Amino acid sequence: MSAFVPLLLANHREFVRDRTALFWTLAFPILFVGIFSIVLSRGDDGASYAVGLVVEDDSPQAQALARLLAEVNAFELTQGGRGAEIDSLRDGDRRAVVVVPAGFGASIDAGAPQPLQVHYDAAQATTQQVVIPVLLGAVEAADRALTQTSPMVTVEFVTLQSERLETIDFIMPGIIAMSVMNAGVFGAINMVSLRERRVLRRLSATPLPAWALVGADVVFRLVVLLVQAALLLVLAVLIGGVKVQAANLPALAGVTLLGGLAFLAIGFFLGAFAKTEQGFFPIAQVVTFPMLFLSGVFFPVDAMPDWIRPLVSALPLTYLGDGMRQLMVGGAPVNAMVVNVGVLAAFLVVFFGLAVRFFRYE
Amino acid sequence: MPVIEVRDLAKTYGDLEAVRGVSFEVVEGEVFGLLGPNGAGKTTTVEILEGLRTRDRGHVRVLGLDPANAGPKLKQQLGVQLQNVALYPRLRVHEVIGLFGSFYGLRADTDRLVELMGLHDRRNARISELSGGQAQRLSVALAIVNRPHLVFLDEPSTGMDPQARRNLWDIIEGFRADGMTVVLTTHYMEEAERLCDRVAVMDHGHIIALDTPRALVRANFEEDAIEFTSSNGVSVDALRELDAVSNATGQAGSFSIFSSDIPRTMGSLLAFARGQDVPLEGMRVRQATLEDVFLKLTGRTLRD
Repeated sequence: MSAFVPLLLANHREFVRDRTALFWTLAFPILFVGIFSIVLSRGDDGASYAVGLVVEDDSPQAQALARLLAEVNAFELTQGGRGAEIDSLRDGDRRAVVVVPAGFGASIDAGAPQPLQVHYDAAQATTQQVVIPVLLGAVEAADRALTQTSPMVTVEFVTLQSERLETIDFIMPGIIAMSVMNAGVFGAINMVSLRERRVLRRLSATPLPAWALVGADVVFRLVVLLVQAALLLVLAVLIGGVKVQAANLPALAGVTLLGGLAFLAIGFFLGAFAKTEQGFFPIAQVVTFPMLFLSGVFFPVDAMPDWIRPLVSALPLTYLGDGMRQLMVGGAPVNAMVVNVGVLAAFLVVFFGLAVRFFRYE
Repeated sequence: MPVIEVRDLAKTYGDLEAVRGVSFEVVEGEVFGLLGPNGAGKTTTVEILEGLRTRDRGHVRVLGLDPANAGPKLKQQLGVQLQNVALYPRLRVHEVIGLFGSFYGLRADTDRLVELMGLHDRRNARISELSGGQAQRLSVALAIVNRPHLVFLDEPSTGMDPQARRNLWDIIEGFRADGMTVVLTTHYMEEAERLCDRVAVMDHGHIIALDTPRALVRANFEEDAIEFTSSNGVSVDALRELDAVSNATGQAGSFSIFSSDIPRTMGSLLAFARGQDVPLEGMRVRQATLEDVFLKLTGRTLRD
């Protein structure tokens, strides 16, 4: 036991004195959260979309419609001639151009209303998903105002979460789960390096028991992993604006710890088959990389084809990501929490056993 | 009572018979050398004694214990230095010494060790900043961090310049003066001659000779040697025909003629050289060495 603390201290010194590694351990979370926060910026909520309006009719109905469209917050409405507005659309300066055709008012009075023409670029996803529905809603409202009728059926949306989940709320737990996986699996590289440099062999000539050597390394890697996860969480809240459920923080720490141990065990097991540090990287990559895409940490499992589902449910990151998402932002569960914890614990036990079985000093 | 007993020790790696039935004893307080070229089985032999490798057969006792199953009890009492260990690069010298002390459950006497190994001015240096010789001296310091009675040094002077090597020899002689038993593997015959009370010469997994360095030389050579280099092709067989010559060897233009009567041999050598127009460079007369013994016993040099 007396060698445990000195070994921990040696690990700590080796780590903090490696400026490059230290920088990346700390910079990686900042970079990652920063990039995702920018890309998935909530700014879109309050953003307004440039919409052109061409009024070719001077009836009161056309004037009223133009007024109503101008009141839509999501639109930054510009009125102009048809040719100029269509050109602006082609140049990407407008999301859509609404044309009120000549004779619009007269056609309403005659009881056979002419349709409004909406020009837009169907290749633009936001236009399809955001601008068009908003426009339809606005036209519908305008329709009721113009015809003086009230709607018969209305819809009230009730979401599962107390607050609406945004993409970034979905992604951030995934990023933290991913960093736990990477820090765990790649954390085993220290042991590979010690073996490559024959330090393990030298230590095996001392009375130091193997459990103290490995234990100190595991505890140290676990601390690094937790610090990194905590840093990511804080940044996700501060930069990304993710709303974390504070009451779940202890449980979140517990799941992070369990996941970290499971991935460390996997890393130590893989490390037994690498002769050199260089040789360890591809092995660890092959194991971690597919999980990024197949575990639903970045892409929802629902969106994947059915045949890939069994693979998804065989990956430990699936359970860590799902558990973290539930605890952090109250996301809809893929699995029950007890399943997530149980599967991670099973991975830990199995790979710990394998890591012990295949551990070599040389 | 011997500190180490080895009888009929053998170890095979796959097809390679690294150690093929060696037997020897090491008594308390002696410096015992295992001398031989790379691949002779020296390191395998000592690593079995240190408990780092298992043996295929044979009887081994170190400090009265079987290293195969004595575990930490034996390791607590041994000092071990291994080849090619690259310690924690970012730790400082005194930190590594302290760390190794903790493995033995004691507080290392860092002051004494850095002083002894001439590392006092490198005490706060990082391991990555040490020269090859300094790193080697640190590895010897770590071998005695637990004040062992028996210490194994595996090629301790590798990578050292001649000055550093002589300093290390002084330190190892200090170990003997302190009553420590030292098992030393080396392929430097000069090191073995200078330090070792007894030497086991190993080749191809066998011990081919075992005695004091002086006795080994005397047993194989009653003669002294005339040594010279020559750029012309000189036939070793022709040298053997010279007067009073018992044997002659030649390696890469460097020749040794062993003679029981130096003046007679010298006379005929000079006549031979004049007649054949052979230049003789750097000619000197010396006593036979362990190197000669090895060459005679195996037909190869230690550095092959």
